[in-house]
Amino acid sequence: MSKNSWHLNRREMLRGGGVALALPLLNSMSWGRETTDQELPKRMLVSYFAYGAYMPGAINGVPAGNDPHDDWSWWPCSQPGPLTFNKSSAPFEPLKDYITYLRGLDHQGGWTMGGHSSGDVFATGADMTEHEKTNNISIDQVAANLHGHKTRYASLVLGTEGGTGSYGSSKTLSHRGPGQPIPSLHKPQDIFNRLFNPYAGQGVEQVRAGLKREASILDLMVDHSRDLQNRLGREDQQKMEEYLESIRAIEQRVERTSQWTHKPLPNVDTKGLNLEVSHKDPQEYIRCMYDLIYLAFQTDSTRFATLMLESESSSNSEMWNYATYALGYKGATHDIAHKRPADYSGQWDRWRAEQHAYFLQRLRATPEADGNMLDRTIVLWGSAHPHASHSGRNYPLHLAGGNKLGLKHGKLLAFEGERKVPMANLFVSMLNAVDVPVEKFADSTGTMDEIRS
Amino acid sequence: MNRLRFFLAAIIVAIASFGNGFTLPAEEIPRTAAGFKSHVAPFLETYCIHCHDSETSKGQITLHALNGDLSAGREPERWDLILRILERGEMPPEGELQPEAAERKGVAEWIAAGLREYVQQSHQPSLVPATRRLTNFEYQNTVRDLLGFELKLIDQLPQDPVKPYHFNNTAEMMRIGPEQLDRYLQCARRAMASAIVDPAMPVVHQTRMEWKPWGLERGMGGDEVGVWGNRRGTPAGGMGLKSFPKTGEFRVRMQASAILPAGVNELPLRLVMGYGLGENLATLLVEPIADIRLSNNPDEPQVFEFRGRIENFPPRPGLIVKETRQPDSMVITLQNLYDDGTLNDGERNLALPRAVVNWLEFEAPITDVWPPLHHTRILFESPLRESDPPAYIQEVLKRFLARAYRRPATNEEVARFVAVYELVLPELGSLEAAMRETLAMVMISPQFLYHTVAKDDVVLQQYELSAKLSYFLWGSMPDDELLRLAEEGKLAEPSVIEAQVRRLLADQRSYQFVDNFTEQWLSLAKMKTVPINRELFPRFLYYVPLGERAGTEVPYRPTIRDYMHQETVGFMAELIRRNASVLNVVDSDFAYINQPLAAHYGVDGVEGIHLRPVPIKPEHHLGGLLTHGSVLVGNGTGSAPHPIYRAVWLREAILGDEVKPPPADVPALTDTAGESAEKALSIKDLLAAHRQKTSCNECHVRLDPWGIPFEHYNAIGKFQPFVPKEGTRVNAFNKLAHANLAGYAAYLQSINTVEIHADSRVPRGPEIDGIEELKSYLLNLRREEIAENMIRRLLTYSIGRELTYRDRFAVEDLIKQTKQNEFKLQDMIVAICQSETFTGIKPQHSKK
Repeated sequence: MSKNSWHLNRREMLRGGGVALALPLLNSMSWGRETTDQELPKRMLVSYFAYGAYMPGAINGVPAGNDPHDDWSWWPCSQPGPLTFNKSSAPFEPLKDYITYLRGLDHQGGWTMGGHSSGDVFATGADMTEHEKTNNISIDQVAANLHGHKTRYASLVLGTEGGTGSYGSSKTLSHRGPGQPIPSLHKPQDIFNRLFNPYAGQGVEQVRAGLKREASILDLMVDHSRDLQNRLGREDQQKMEEYLESIRAIEQRVERTSQWTHKPLPNVDTKGLNLEVSHKDPQEYIRCMYDLIYLAFQTDSTRFATLMLESESSSNSEMWNYATYALGYKGATHDIAHKRPADYSGQWDRWRAEQHAYFLQRLRATPEADGNMLDRTIVLWGSAHPHASHSGRNYPLHLAGGNKLGLKHGKLLAFEGERKVPMANLFVSMLNAVDVPVEKFADSTGTMDEIRS
Repeated sequence: MNRLRFFLAAIIVAIASFGNGFTLPAEEIPRTAAGFKSHVAPFLETYCIHCHDSETSKGQITLHALNGDLSAGREPERWDLILRILERGEMPPEGELQPEAAERKGVAEWIAAGLREYVQQSHQPSLVPATRRLTNFEYQNTVRDLLGFELKLIDQLPQDPVKPYHFNNTAEMMRIGPEQLDRYLQCARRAMASAIVDPAMPVVHQTRMEWKPWGLERGMGGDEVGVWGNRRGTPAGGMGLKSFPKTGEFRVRMQASAILPAGVNELPLRLVMGYGLGENLATLLVEPIADIRLSNNPDEPQVFEFRGRIENFPPRPGLIVKETRQPDSMVITLQNLYDDGTLNDGERNLALPRAVVNWLEFEAPITDVWPPLHHTRILFESPLRESDPPAYIQEVLKRFLARAYRRPATNEEVARFVAVYELVLPELGSLEAAMRETLAMVMISPQFLYHTVAKDDVVLQQYELSAKLSYFLWGSMPDDELLRLAEEGKLAEPSVIEAQVRRLLADQRSYQFVDNFTEQWLSLAKMKTVPINRELFPRFLYYVPLGERAGTEVPYRPTIRDYMHQETVGFMAELIRRNASVLNVVDSDFAYINQPLAAHYGVDGVEGIHLRPVPIKPEHHLGGLLTHGSVLVGNGTGSAPHPIYRAVWLREAILGDEVKPPPADVPALTDTAGESAEKALSIKDLLAAHRQKTSCNECHVRLDPWGIPFEHYNAIGKFQPFVPKEGTRVNAFNKLAHANLAGYAAYLQSINTVEIHADSRVPRGPEIDGIEELKSYLLNLRREEIAENMIRRLLTYSIGRELTYRDRFAVEDLIKQTKQNEFKLQDMIVAICQSETFTGIKPQHSKK
C-alpha cells in the first residue's frame, strides 16, 4: 500500500519538475488504455547516407541544368517540377507518386563543420559551431516524446556502425537533447532480440518482479541524489538536474516496460530474415536493417525510427570497404566521394537507391486500412553534403510516403537562391504531419507547405 | 564572444614586438575614464576604428562602442581580446598605419591595469559548472582502483565528445543522459558480478597444449612462431580454449625461447586472446594478454607466467548449428612482433628471429586464494557477519562508500544503501547477490560519477583537493596517502602539494595522464585515420599479401604508425620525468624511439622494440614535437604534406591560437586549383594558386607561411626534401629488389627527383627556410608564448573548464613563477597545483 502512494508522489513530483520536454512519458498515465491501439499509426523514418552523392557538373549541390540531364546524377532530373528519372534514380520510378526530391535545403548549424562532420546535425539541425557544442534533440525524439508511449518502444535508433560516435563523427542520428546522443544499434540479431524477444526467455512474472524491484531502487536513488543537489551551487545544481532527469527517465522506462508486460509480444515471422548477416554482404545487411524497421513498424512496436546507413568516419569499421564488396570498387568507399570516378560513382548511388526503394516498396506492398503502410509512413532519406567538395550546403534529400498524412508527391522541389529556407522548416511540416503540433524546430522559420500541395 | 575570439585568432600572429627588447619607458596613462578619453580612445580611433567600426566591422569586431568602462556587460571579455591582440602585435595588419611601440605598450598597460582591478574587485562566482562527470577514461581507471582489478568497461560507454585541440574533461562537455546512465548501470552490475564471488569453490577450467619441432625439413619447425608465413598447428595458429568461465582471473603459463640470428639480441613476443587470428572473418577481435622480450635460446627454455581477467577478452559467439547454439570460443594466439624497420613481408622468414614455444597452458579462475582478495576487500572476514549481520552490512557499506565517494560517507548516506540492501535481499536471497546489487547502485550515484565541488566546507575541500590532484595526474581516484593527508587537513599546504605532485608524477599511473593529455592537446588521434597512399609508401604499413583480405591492413600487428603515437606520448613523459624545459617541445637533443622508428627516421644503432630516449644529431632532422611522425602524418593527406593542416597545428597546439575553420562559402582548394589535393604531390603549389583569389588570400596569407617550412617532411613523417615529379608514374616498388633498407632508400631516390622548397616569410617576421630555421625563430622570439600556451593547456585540463579573462592574471603569475626556472615542466605542474585557481582554496587557509 505504501508503495502505491509512493508512486503517486513520484509522479506528482515529476510533473512538477519542469521537465516536460525531456519527460514526455508523463503524459502517458493512460498506459493501460485500450483505445490508443485503435488509432491508426502515423510513422516516420529518417535515413542517412554518407559522403554525399554524385552530381557531375553540379555547383554546390545544384545541377548545372544541362540538356540532356546527366544519366548518373543523383538528381533524377535537372529542372524543378514533375519527376522524370535517369539511371541513378531509376529504382524509384515505380514509386513516382510516393516520392519528392528536395533541392537547396540544409542546416545552417552544420555549415562550418566541414563535410566530414555535418552528418552530426542531419536530424537535429543544431548549431554545432557556435552554441551547441553538444548537439541537440533530433526530430524523431521530438515525435517520440509526444507519441512514443503508444507503442512498446518510443523509438528505434539504428546505424550500420553502432554506438554514438563523438563530436564531428557521429554514428547515430538521434539525440535526446544536448549531450545525450542515443547509441545506435547495428547488430541485426541484437536488434531483433530487443524488439521481439526482450525478456530473454524469462517468464513474464519473473520479469515483472525484477522491474518492480528496479523501480523501487531507482526511487531511493533519486532521493539520495537530491541530498547532494541541495548542497551545490546553482550552476552545479543544474548539472545534477540533468542526472536526475536521466535517472527518472530510466525509472519511467522500467515502469513502461512493466506495463507492456501485460500485452503479448507480437509473433514475428523470421522466415527470410538472415540475422547473422555481416557487413561483408552489404546488400543483405542493409536490407536486413530495413527489414527490421519494417517489422517494427508493421507490428506497431514503434513508430519513429532513424537509420544511419553509413558515416563519414567509418574508417575503423568494415563499412569503409563496403563499396568494394557491393561493386567491386578497389579502394575505400570514402575514396569514391573524393575521387568521383565516373564509372563507380553513379553505380554506387544507384545501388544505394535500390536498397532504399526496396524498403519503400515493402511498405507500399503491405495493406493498411484503406491504403498501405507507406501511406502512413513519412520517410526522409538524404545526406548532409552535396558532393565531393566538403561543403555543408544544399543536401541531396528525398522524401517519401505519408500520402494519407497530407503529403503530396511526384515533384522535384527547389529551394536554392531566393527561395532558400532552413531545412528545419521541412522538419516542422514532417512533425505536424505525424500529429506533433510544433511550430518551431531548431532554426526553422515556418512550415514547408510545398510538400503538402 | 567565442565568435570574436575564433575569428580574431584566425588572424595571423605576428612577431611580438612587445615585451622583447623594448627600451622606451612607457607613457603612463591615467587609470581612469580620463585616461580613456585622453589616450586610449584616440589610439583606437587612429589605428583600429576604420576597419572595426559599426559598418565595416571586420572580423565581426566592432570597437566604436567601447566607452572605456571595463565593467559594463560583456566588456571585460572584449577588452581582454584587445589586450591580447595588442600584446602579441597581431593588429593592425601589415600595410596599415602602425603605432609606436611605446604607444602600444601604454595602451596595453592601461587595459591590463583596469582589467586586473576589475577581476580583483568583483568576486562574481563562476558561471560555469564545476561539477565534472568522470570521463570514460577516468571512469575506467576509477573502477580499477576501486575494485582492485582491471576491467575494460570503456567500450560499453558512449564515447565522450572530442573536439580538436580541446580537452573533453570540461564540465560543460561532460553531459549525461538516460542512455549513458543506463550504460553506467550495466557496467556497475558487470563490475560487481566480477568483484563479489559466490562462496562455493568454483569449477576450474584448464587447457594445455604442447608443440614439437616437426616439419623442420620444410623450414620452420612445428613449435616455432615466425614473423610471417606461419603454418597451421603451430603456436602461431593458437590454442583454442576447451572451456572458460565468464568471470575471474586467469593464469597463462608458457615455456618459450628464441632462435636469434647473429646481431639480434631479443625477440618481442605477444600473446593475444579472443578470436582466432587465422580465421577469415570480417571482424576479428582480440585483446593482448602480455608482451615479453625473449632472449634465451632453445637450449635454455624459460617458463613465463601471465595473469589477466577473462572478462576483458572477447569470446567469439558460438554458431547456431541445427538450432542449437554452440558454446562461445576463445583462442590464445602468439605473435612474433620482431620488426627491424625493414619490410617483413615473408620473403626472408628464416633469416628473421623465431620464437620456440614448447607448451602453453591456461587456467581460470585462479583459486590459490579463495575468495579472491578483491572479494574480501569488500566482504571482509569478520565474526560480525554471523553475530550481528546488520552491523556487518553497515560496516561493509561504510568502507566501500568511503572509497567510492573519495571521502568518508555520512551516516545518512550509509543508511540509504542499507535501505537498498534490505529492499533487494528478500528477492535476491544471498548476502553476496544483494550486496552486488547494492554496490552497483553506489556506482551509479552522483557522488561516484561526478567529482563534485564542495563550496565552503573546509573539511570537504581537502578531500576535493585530493581528488583534483589524482584526477589531474593519474586520471583516477585518490590513493590512501592522499586521502590520509586530506583527513589530517594538511593537503592544502604548498609544500605538501609539491611533494604529492612529484610523488604522483613518479608513479606509473601518471603515464595515463600524459597519454590522455597529449593525445587531446596535440589532436593526435587523426593520425590513425589518414589514408596512407600505398603506392607512394609501400613499406609504411603492413598489408595482407594474399587471399580475400589482400591489400587490407594486417590487423593486430603494431606498425610504425602505432609506435609514432607512443613516441610522442613517451617524449612528453620523458620531459616531465626529467623536469626539462617546456621549450623542448620545439627542439630537443634527444628523440624517443625504438628500432622501427629509428629505421624510419634514419637513426642508426637503436635495437629492439621498446622506446627509449636516444641522442640525436643534426643530420637526423629530428628534435622536438615538430618533427614527430604522429604530427606530420596526422597533418598530411597520406600522399603529401599539407601545409595548412600543419600551420593550424603549429598555431593551435604550440602557439596557443584558435584558428577558425574555413568559412563554408569559400570554394575548396581543389576547386580553385583544379587538382585533387589527395593526388597532389605538393600542395604548396596548389596553395599558391589558391592565394591568387582575394577571398582565399585574406586568410591564407596569414596561415600558409607557418606550414610551408614543414614541406621537407613527407606524408609519412620522414625527412624527404625531394618528391616525385608531378604527372609521372611512380616506379613500382619491387619487394624483392628493394628488400633491405638500402634498397628501399635507392627506390625512394629513384622516384623522388624534384626538390621541394620550404621557404616562406612568416607574417611580420623574417624569411624562414625549413624546419630548423622555424625552430630557432620560435625559440628565440616566441618562447614566452610557447610557455604560456603550455600553462594554459595544463591549467585548463587540470581544472576541467575553459579559461576566461578572469584567469588572465593567474596565468601571468604562473608564467612569472616558472620563467625564472626556465619553464621546467614538472615545476610548472607543481605551480599549477599550488595555485588558487586549481585548489579553489584561498591562500589564507593554506598559510601560503
